[in-house]
Amino acid sequence: MPLDFRRFNGPEDSVSYKIYTKDYLKTYDEQLKDLYDENGKRKDGRELNEARSMCMFFARTDMVSQAKGSAYVELRKTKVVCSVFDPREIPHQNEFRQLGQLYCEVKFAPFSCPRKRRPYVPDVEEKALSVALRQALEPAVCRHFFPNYQIDVLIYILEHDGSCLAAAINAAGLALANAAVPMFDIITSCSVAVIGNKMFIDPTEIEEHIAKNSTEVNHGIITMSVLSQLKQISDFTQIGSMDVECVTKVMEVLLKECEIIVPNIQRILVVDVVKNFELKKHLEAETKKREEILKKKMDEWRSLLNGQ
Amino acid sequence: MAGLLLSSTEKVFIVHGVQEDFRSDGRSNIDYRPMELETDVVSHASGSARLRLANTDILVGIKTEIDTPKPDKPDMGKIEFFVDCSANATPEFEGRGGENLASSISNTMQRAYHSSQAFDLKQLCIVEGKQCWKLYVDILILECGGNLFDAVSLATKAALFNTRIPLVKALLMDGGNVDLQLSDDPYDFKFLDVGSAPLLVTLCKIGEKCVVDPSAEEESCSVISLIVGITGNSKSYCADKGASNLSDVDIKCSTISMNGPGSLAPKTLKNAIHQGIIAAKVLDDSLGQALLRERRENINSMKSSYGFLK
Repeated sequence: MPLDFRRFNGPEDSVSYKIYTKDYLKTYDEQLKDLYDENGKRKDGRELNEARSMCMFFARTDMVSQAKGSAYVELRKTKVVCSVFDPREIPHQNEFRQLGQLYCEVKFAPFSCPRKRRPYVPDVEEKALSVALRQALEPAVCRHFFPNYQIDVLIYILEHDGSCLAAAINAAGLALANAAVPMFDIITSCSVAVIGNKMFIDPTEIEEHIAKNSTEVNHGIITMSVLSQLKQISDFTQIGSMDVECVTKVMEVLLKECEIIVPNIQRILVVDVVKNFELKKHLEAETKKREEILKKKMDEWRSLLNGQ
Repeated sequence: MAGLLLSSTEKVFIVHGVQEDFRSDGRSNIDYRPMELETDVVSHASGSARLRLANTDILVGIKTEIDTPKPDKPDMGKIEFFVDCSANATPEFEGRGGENLASSISNTMQRAYHSSQAFDLKQLCIVEGKQCWKLYVDILILECGGNLFDAVSLATKAALFNTRIPLVKALLMDGGNVDLQLSDDPYDFKFLDVGSAPLLVTLCKIGEKCVVDPSAEEESCSVISLIVGITGNSKSYCADKGASNLSDVDIKCSTISMNGPGSLAPKTLKNAIHQGIIAAKVLDDSLGQALLRERRENINSMKSSYGFLK
């Protein structure tokens, strides 16, 4: 693990205290039983096929005032902030490129993950997420509108409770729209964890962990991002071990789920535009009032000068 | 990828050829280019392999070290992938130029080998909770001729097949500390069980069709390619006579990812995955046969080593 020598790092052989708790000693079967009860409801009360984007979703734009566009997405406990900045020249580049570039960076806050502290230096997982985010956003953005420039999309994950990449892609889509970057379509994303014959839509961190390390016949996580109007899949990532029928079934489910999120995103963007119009009207009214006051003062002084 | 300059007419030529299932070098859309594979080329590594897939040249070396297992996985060993895009391949890889490509390949390999059904890490355990084997898979890209992911996964599987793990002769437990004694005999080793190790198949979308094993020119004509990692069939890697009576293991996808600035329609994605599975089955079978033949020749001392001389 590369250490950042400019900061104070903890002792190298320290481990999380959680490996000494009772929870840790649970067998795989016990952990699996914990995930859902007899009625088929998961730990947080959802059904197996219920996504958090329907019941526990909050998103807004204009979160970061310094950025051209920004968004905050909260899927119950998973919290993600995204900032998009103006196009700028590509650093360290010699050749002319016809299409604009997207520079994507995903960062976890050190306290965001439940199992261990994240170091400041970007590790393999963060770099992989950055690449996946760029892969998902490239087909959506009209890159021919800013040739030879790059747009920075920066994601900061404040708390990680599963479906981080999906939340990040949703946040990035919102932030790009808020920044008035021309796009071909609204991009939405969702993920599914498969454990045996059960499909957990929009998994939490525990569900993801068990799905990745399970030994069942079919296990793993699939994340997909879709441009729903154009019916195009912009990114499809699978990890684990699944047979083809399972992959195809999950793909159908994810296509539907990604389409369901679109009205939510549209509503947030419309609310954003309406808010901006109201603000503009309010500012114009204020400006008018102040101009009136200024004019009155000017008239007063003019009359004083003339009267002299 | 590697500084290729194709005119638009040449690109149209390639696209039209692919639509007719007839590529510029005469192959069909599901044909691979001829390959040369040799294992045990690096004497200091525990296992090594060199693969030439037309213009693509990959060298894989595997080093084994003893390490402590992770606290949440006490009975499993570790495997780590490192990819080095050598500046020999193309001047673009000078310095940190090849870093993006290298991290992309090593991430895909790490994901493909993550599942226990793809590569069982339990065979690398020595003492549960205390000592395990750690495999460092170092992949060196000597020449870039298109289709890097496939070539890397083939060479890695061959190198893992060739890897010799020394046998543990004695174990001294001294109040929590473990003292290992490995066998001195260089011929006293065990082979790994890599039959189910995954092979990556790249399906490049050119026009409306998907091609397997794209050359560098074909890669520059496409905007999106799909990489599917398919687990292997252990039957093809078993030298026993009774192996043919073993039941066929179901083919599983161990990783799927997309590469490129474009996007895919859902139907194209489904067809591409099926196409990749057919290609992977054939590839896995042939690789198994070739590796078993090489091992037989090695045991009978019939093998003439070429290394880099040919």
